[in-house]
Amino acid sequence: MTDLIPEPALGADAPMRREIGAVTLTERTDVGLASLALRAAASEPAPFGLILPGPGDSVVLQDKGAFWTGPGQWMIEGSENGDFAATVAAEAPGCSVTEQTDGWVVLDLVAPAEALGTLLERLVNLPPEALTPGKATRTLMHHMSVVLIRRSDSRLTVMGMRSLAGSLWHALEDTAARLA
Amino acid sequence: MKRIDGGLIDRGQILTFTFDGRNYIGHGGDTLASALLANGVQLMGRSFKYHRPRGVLTAGSEEPNALVELRSGARQEPNTRATVAELYDGLEARSQNRWPSLAVDALAVNDLAAPLLTAGFYYKTFMWPKAFWEKLYEPMIRRAAGLGALSMAPDPDGYDRGFLHADLLVIGGGAAGLAAALTAGRSGARVVLADEDFRLGGRMLAESQLLDGQPASDWVAQAEADLRRMDNVRILPRTTVFGVYDHGIHGAVERVGDHLADPGPVRQRLWRITAKRTVLAAGAMERPIAFADNDRPGIMLAGAMRAYLNRWAVAPEGRVAIFTCCDDGHRTALDLVARGVKVFAVIDSRAEAPRFGDYNVMRGAVVTGTQGRRALRTIEVTQSDGTSTWLECSALGVAGGWNPTLHLTGHHRSRPVWDATIAAFVPGQGGPAGLAAAGAAAGRGGCAAAMADGARVAGEALAALGMSVTGADLPATEDPPQAIAPLWHVPGKRRAWVDQQNDVTVKDIRLAHQENMVSVEHLKRWTTLGMATDQGKTANVTALAVMAELTGKSIPETGTTTYRPPFTPVSMGVLGSGDTGPGFRPRRLPPTHRWAEREGAVFVEVGPWMRAQYFPRAGETHWRQSVDREALAVRRDVGLCDVTTLGKIDVQGADAGAFLDRIYSNAMASLKVGRVRYGLMLREDGILYDDGTCARLAEDHYVVTTTTANAGPVFRNMEFARQALFPDMDVQLVSTTDAWAQIAVAGPKSRALLERIVDGFDLSSDAFPFMACAPLTVAGGLRARLFRISFSGELAYELAVPARYGGAVMARLMELGADLGVTPYGTEALAVLRIEKGHAAGAELNGQTTAAMLGLGRMVSVKKDAIGAVMSRRPGMAGDTRRLVGLRPVDAEERVVSGAHLFTEGAVRSMDTDEGWITSACYSPHLQTMIGLGFLKDGADRMDEVIVAANPLEGSEVRLKVVSAHFVDPEGDRPRD
Repeated sequence: MTDLIPEPALGADAPMRREIGAVTLTERTDVGLASLALRAAASEPAPFGLILPGPGDSVVLQDKGAFWTGPGQWMIEGSENGDFAATVAAEAPGCSVTEQTDGWVVLDLVAPAEALGTLLERLVNLPPEALTPGKATRTLMHHMSVVLIRRSDSRLTVMGMRSLAGSLWHALEDTAARLA
Repeated sequence: MKRIDGGLIDRGQILTFTFDGRNYIGHGGDTLASALLANGVQLMGRSFKYHRPRGVLTAGSEEPNALVELRSGARQEPNTRATVAELYDGLEARSQNRWPSLAVDALAVNDLAAPLLTAGFYYKTFMWPKAFWEKLYEPMIRRAAGLGALSMAPDPDGYDRGFLHADLLVIGGGAAGLAAALTAGRSGARVVLADEDFRLGGRMLAESQLLDGQPASDWVAQAEADLRRMDNVRILPRTTVFGVYDHGIHGAVERVGDHLADPGPVRQRLWRITAKRTVLAAGAMERPIAFADNDRPGIMLAGAMRAYLNRWAVAPEGRVAIFTCCDDGHRTALDLVARGVKVFAVIDSRAEAPRFGDYNVMRGAVVTGTQGRRALRTIEVTQSDGTSTWLECSALGVAGGWNPTLHLTGHHRSRPVWDATIAAFVPGQGGPAGLAAAGAAAGRGGCAAAMADGARVAGEALAALGMSVTGADLPATEDPPQAIAPLWHVPGKRRAWVDQQNDVTVKDIRLAHQENMVSVEHLKRWTTLGMATDQGKTANVTALAVMAELTGKSIPETGTTTYRPPFTPVSMGVLGSGDTGPGFRPRRLPPTHRWAEREGAVFVEVGPWMRAQYFPRAGETHWRQSVDREALAVRRDVGLCDVTTLGKIDVQGADAGAFLDRIYSNAMASLKVGRVRYGLMLREDGILYDDGTCARLAEDHYVVTTTTANAGPVFRNMEFARQALFPDMDVQLVSTTDAWAQIAVAGPKSRALLERIVDGFDLSSDAFPFMACAPLTVAGGLRARLFRISFSGELAYELAVPARYGGAVMARLMELGADLGVTPYGTEALAVLRIEKGHAAGAELNGQTTAAMLGLGRMVSVKKDAIGAVMSRRPGMAGDTRRLVGLRPVDAEERVVSGAHLFTEGAVRSMDTDEGWITSACYSPHLQTMIGLGFLKDGADRMDEVIVAANPLEGSEVRLKVVSAHFVDPEGDRPRD
């Protein structure tokens, strides 16, 4: 076990959390991510029992989840972030699996449904039906590529490139502040 | 003018405001214009060129004259139309384009010089001497002209953006718009209704017409209440749709806080509205008639006079007349009379003019002159028999007919068509897909007609979407007569204004015509007609008609001008949507950024990345001192540099090797597991566009490294190749650029340093030779990858660890290597090291470079095909003899400048004799002189020749010696050590 101390994507000593009016913004560092892509000969796996979702959708089963990222491609979510790819690979034999935990900053937005809807209207060029609970989609937010996963009416996960964590946080914070 | 009873203002709300420092009182629901008029203020501005006194011409966003500076300090906003500025308590406004005061303006002397200041005068007058144009004439003209002034202070207000999606976007909340929105709303469609006014109702608010026997405003209020109850309808008041773009996208600005004393966190919001269908219900704009001196304060459009009367309860005082060529002018007279205002004459140019009420009609008469410097005093009326009489007149309403507000239909270059029955342009074919005009905007005006049309057009739009339509209950009303015999201008010798904002008169149009400005587009540019803040909304059609008369052509033959976004002025702040300062653009930070901050690094923008440029140490006063120290430390001991920004692409699959053979010009399928190879990627046209290393981690697993700048393009091109060019190949790609922190550990002591952090990994050259790679663990079990590769030319490695450990690993390496002289180095030293080694970077791969030019022609394999390989061998490209060479100044003190062009010594400096250019240059602390890399014709065969680098921009020339590009370790022994 290494004694090195990992740094959250936003660079503070601890994961960031801020309440802005009705919106709570939280940096998640407890999420493991691995991309999974079907190889030509592989049949579609059901890692951890997950029925891999179709375009625009996500699924959750206990502490694991998956969302569609492209034809024959998914991102698998877990709560382990050491070498999550190895765990996923064992569940998806014959598939291409790549560790992605460190590639992303994961931010949770919690707000009453109406406020969350208004916030989304200010942030992304998507019609509301593209982000009903259970939906997951990749889109642009303030010129940054992000994945949005609507966990519930009142909870949204925003995943962005780790290197853009600060800019993404700033955009979310600013937009939420304008609502407050 | 004065305030009377009634109107749609909230008299319980008393609002104080100032204009040019004087205090006034208005009410809720007032605009600045209506409040000033109610206070008897008619003079509100000065014209652009002649500084003529001007009042209010209109009651809407088309206003050319009543432009003011609103607010003060950093919030000062010039050129605000008083007719749409919603009054709030504490509003401050000032007139503009005048000195020393609005009443006494020194530059009004321009008006006396009018004969010299005709159309295109500055093109003719200020031609000589030529040198004076830029330095003297232009600044002088700009100072004399121009309208309001900017505060020059940073904008203190907040802006925002948003996105809306609708089945139907309704632009305009008047009769047609409300009927369209009610129809679509009741049919269950998702509706966005945007109106530029702060109150829905459009023209209905300005009329006395009854709907279902009730005032129109009552029906509007009911309709609005109905719409607000519908979850599927979104009403956006104070929102101007300013442009229509492709695919049903509309740009709109919502003025969120402009009507408040403190605009709050968001002053304006930029909406991007995507609509499946759009109903343009923007109404119509009344047009003036051009007659002599028709621009005096007190002369306004008859429809505006009616709007001020009915909506804002402001009535003209004294002797009031109407000048009209259509029935609509009589409507104003009727309303005035009904409100107790005496109308001494309706001067109707039509010989058979009707008379609808208790007022005097002067048939077949026209207004041929006016007097009154700061306010209208008298008008000259000329009868059909040619007799003229000067009559006292303090307020004149002018009714020239109505032009449909069709601007948005022209945003995709559709041209309007002439409708002779209403004497106006109406929307033509080929407008934005999915957009249809309704009501007055389509030339189907009048309240009842517009409502019916709005409902019909909305119904058709929904039907086209496959939706069923539930009709709206529309009120019963009757439209008044609308006959017209168009009168564009009254002939005469005095100036008759067509474009009041730009001071363009009938004479100017005539002069432009005489000077052979045949096209209306030329007319516009020669006279400035239709330019500036109002874009000629009250002028364009009249100008066309005048032009048509002069050319003897019909109006439709004469043409139309082009309508472009924005419909009304849009502030730069809202276009930026508040993205200023740290939010100006996204910034990517590498994983060691905070560590570098703690180390005192100076950062540089590299595309979106912020990278450490160098790390100043105590006592260093110039960047070169830091950079030289860092570069020397790498050559002598060991240095650390964050190279995370290089793109990393994970390539897996049974065909990964075969796929990469197609992507790289050199072979990758033959690369052994655990080894790295340098590779080149070509564009389809054979030009070299990216280089980097490719590591094979397993039989079916590679990691491709790209340059920082091309991380995105290479991934995109590979993904395109995978999906579109080679879809049968079993290969999967995913970017891992951000997932791994990658640290270059470079220098003769790099192995010694790494040995202190790896977990039992043999780093000897036998076990881990040059160009080897391996997964391993470091620092007690941290997952990592190690690559033995070198950009600096020294013994070097790149260590990759999960990004969240980047800073910690960097810090640990610094700690472990203290006794080895470990030194962090930034992009500047990185560049010095690679130039000393002759390694290509972005400056060399500039989109004109072939592999052969880099001396790497053999890396374009002929044993296999790859993207760009065949094209790279085509005649012309294959014969390019320019080669990458090293360049050293003959006099070691001389400067080498990148961008300088290379010539044979003694040759004439010309494009024909140009033999290449310097791509990169730096001071080499190793060689203690400046050095450069460059492409030189036949460069490989010209070693030791002395050539000249010419830098004509700085007027310098330097003699350079051609040398090997490998200034350091030309045999390449060091990285293999």
